[in-house]
Amino acid sequence: MVNLTINDKQVTAPKDCTIYEAAKLNGIKIPILCHDKKLKPFGACRMCLVEVEQMKGRQIPSCTTPATEGMIIRTDTPEIIKARKLVLELLLLNHPLDCPVCDKGGDCDLQNLTYDYQVDSNRFVDSKFQHEIDYNNPLIERDMNRCVLCGKCVRICDEIVAFGALTFIDRGIETKIGCDFEKPLDCEFCGSCVSVCPVGALLARPFKHKARFWALTNHNSVCGYCGTGCNLTLGVKDNKVLTTVYNENQGFHKGQLCVRGRFGYQFINSENRLTTPLIRKNGRLTEATWDEALEIVATRLKGGNSVAALATPRLANEELTLFKKMMLDNIGSKNFDNSAGYAHAALTEGFVRSFGSAASSASILDIQKSDLLLVVKTDTYETHPVIGFEINMGVKNKGIKLNILSDKRGKLSKLPGANTQVHIPGAEVAVLNALCNSIIDQKLADDSAVSLPGYPELVKALAGFTPETVAATSGITAESINKLAADYASAEKALILFPTGLGYAGHTADLATAVANLAILTGKFGKEGCGVLCLSEKNNSQGAVDMGFYPREGGMNALQILDACTSGTVKTLLVAGENPLTSYPDNAKVKAALDAVEFLIVSDLFLTETAELADIVLPACSFAEKEGTYTSTDRRVQYVKPAINKIGKSKSDFEIISSLIAKMGGTPPVTPAVQFAEISANTPGYESMTYATLGNEGAFAPVSINPVFVVPVAAQITAAQGKLALVTGSVLYHNGTLSQHGEGPVHVCPDAYVEMSRADAISSSINDNDLVTVSSSSGSLQLKAKVSLRIPEGVVFIPYHFPAAPVNKIWSGSAVTMVSLSK
Amino acid sequence: MNPITPIINGMSITFKHMFLKPVTLQYPTERPKVAARYRGLQGLKVSHDKAKCVACYLCPTVCPAKCITVEAAEDANHDKYASKYEIDLLRCIFCGYCVEACPVDALKMTSEFELASYSRKDFIYSKERLLEKQ
Repeated sequence: MVNLTINDKQVTAPKDCTIYEAAKLNGIKIPILCHDKKLKPFGACRMCLVEVEQMKGRQIPSCTTPATEGMIIRTDTPEIIKARKLVLELLLLNHPLDCPVCDKGGDCDLQNLTYDYQVDSNRFVDSKFQHEIDYNNPLIERDMNRCVLCGKCVRICDEIVAFGALTFIDRGIETKIGCDFEKPLDCEFCGSCVSVCPVGALLARPFKHKARFWALTNHNSVCGYCGTGCNLTLGVKDNKVLTTVYNENQGFHKGQLCVRGRFGYQFINSENRLTTPLIRKNGRLTEATWDEALEIVATRLKGGNSVAALATPRLANEELTLFKKMMLDNIGSKNFDNSAGYAHAALTEGFVRSFGSAASSASILDIQKSDLLLVVKTDTYETHPVIGFEINMGVKNKGIKLNILSDKRGKLSKLPGANTQVHIPGAEVAVLNALCNSIIDQKLADDSAVSLPGYPELVKALAGFTPETVAATSGITAESINKLAADYASAEKALILFPTGLGYAGHTADLATAVANLAILTGKFGKEGCGVLCLSEKNNSQGAVDMGFYPREGGMNALQILDACTSGTVKTLLVAGENPLTSYPDNAKVKAALDAVEFLIVSDLFLTETAELADIVLPACSFAEKEGTYTSTDRRVQYVKPAINKIGKSKSDFEIISSLIAKMGGTPPVTPAVQFAEISANTPGYESMTYATLGNEGAFAPVSINPVFVVPVAAQITAAQGKLALVTGSVLYHNGTLSQHGEGPVHVCPDAYVEMSRADAISSSINDNDLVTVSSSSGSLQLKAKVSLRIPEGVVFIPYHFPAAPVNKIWSGSAVTMVSLSK
Repeated sequence: MNPITPIINGMSITFKHMFLKPVTLQYPTERPKVAARYRGLQGLKVSHDKAKCVACYLCPTVCPAKCITVEAAEDANHDKYASKYEIDLLRCIFCGYCVEACPVDALKMTSEFELASYSRKDFIYSKERLLEKQ
């Protein structure tokens, strides 16, 4: 800590902070345009000038000057105020005075400072800029005439997002912010630049002219897309979520969001939302009352084991536990599951076997505290972009080593010093086994490992996985495997990340155990900066696991439930929020099951492909309309309050299930809070949590680890001549099938595509955007081709989110499907 | 005092007024002269054949009676304009803050004071009704 005097006030501040930060910490406001908490000091705007006595009273920028012991600082002498006024006058010389039509009005730093410093006239004369305004971009509007060249957008895009779409171009008075060769903006549209822009130079186009900032009511919430659990501020007016509002003090990510979180909110107030219950009469879904619909549903649910349920892990913890209770106590069926069963198997089977707990032993905060990251089979920038930002900051600012083991390259591979090893799809478990083998061979295993249960069996099983033998089938050289193993084992702190999800059929319990073995073998778990982080796909995937919403003690899993629908064992199927027809593997099988089941009940926000087949459709509501808790991938339990009233006659799943329990003669809990009290009483790690203690920050549910070595089964890959390995997964702009209803993501990524390597494209004479037929043994699909450098030869990638071209028509759930391409 | 005196005084005043100019107005056949700064019905000013209003939302913000509803939109030239501009006269208190707040001088208070109507919905003045008559 250092002691300094600011405006005659004795203050203390941490040693590594600047004068600006020291003042801010102590409640002294210094005006600034070019500073953001997350970014490195830049010193562009010259608004934050202060006088330091030791520096002979010169005016120095406080945002770039470190605070040192004994500094005597003045922030508001008449000279400083004069200098600041001059800066504002010079900025306003070229800045258009179009506040009435500028959407930043009311939230504009320049406007506020102009008002504070009463700059109502200008001593200089100059013409305004005449830069062309980019109206064409669907998400980000760039009006460089308003730019004050603070460089925040350039820096956030480089330092945090690591895309580098924007930069300063031209020199002197001509300087402006633009893309390379003044091309239109073509980036990942995370909108970080928009969030930090102090003026109206960068604006969110979906929010254009929708409302003034002062008319919005801000509601803290938690993003409803992926499992990262980013905090979100929803800007609400007239019961409509109009935008997401940037708040640099929010969450571990300090307000940083990805394209889905920032621009994907439109599904909440979508015109396509279901507003009333629908009942199938004479083959057509017709509007009905809640009473009528619930009465039929309740009667149909009284079927014991012939009733089954599939729920989305987007439901809140309270809803999932209540749902489970209804299934077990009121209906008497053990057949309920989420996420097709396999998407949570890594946790519920893999981690349970290896760690004795169905949760990751590391948190997102460990990323920046680690020395080495091993990212397995994911580009976190694509699956969990905000975690990707964390990795980027760790790699660039803290020198964390980054090793990637994946079947394709991604944006992470472009980070400085990233070591990417691309393996043949399906070989991941073999490679991980080889890594373990190499660690034991190089005598790098932790001393504690030998005494752990399962060690001898593991050593025996690993015998067949020498780096040399695996190198032959995995496409990674033995040398690289040995180096990767040595790197991982010798790092003081190392963290492994791997994703699960509906699109990642290969990410099974075996992958989880293989990864866990690596961590256990080297003793890299249960410590700061160490462990294995299983990245869950949906906002409450981890919650669904914690709440036990998956089959145990003889219940059927999701895929068995669908089989049982076809065979007639399951007569009533209740689907809450899932869209199996698009997201579960094997379209034909799912369709047959949904057609065959006697009675299908769907509760959803939209009339999805699955809901269209239903006998009764119940309108549910989104995360913005209900109260509850969500558990993020690292077991951070976060509480959300409703931001808007429910749309139409929709009801939350909590209310729907409560009414059903009441109709079946049970006594449902009165409020979600009551249900949460039950959760905290019964769920390990959730003890002592209440809505009040969760607050805005949420709380971590601790994980207890009991490590055991488990031998994973490596998949046998059979390469077929002339065929390509199909890898499915999620794409940056989408998450599940929900983002199909968010305008933002759909603007940027409207259709499915097949991504292939240049070599494969040339050999099949396919060009970018050609319509290609992809066929597998289970069917064929027409998709647009996308030729890219990141995909290795012999592999094609298809995202799974799109109902118009569902990849499950050609993919039946196996980790690797062999496909052929034709034009 | 003589009890008759006040009556005579009163009657003399009454008699005097018979020769003065009447203070009452034979409305509606006679029209009042409205002062230049009278605050009557609002009017949206027109310039270059379109409303001057740029939908900046300052008038609904400043309005103490919350009687103004504005919705902004983007026209073909990407300019901001009010796609909806409504004043609920049943709530309006004719304070004139809206006119004072307008940064582009798009709003004025006209001398129109005959605002009675038979139905409530007629008191909601849409943009078309508020636009300055040529």
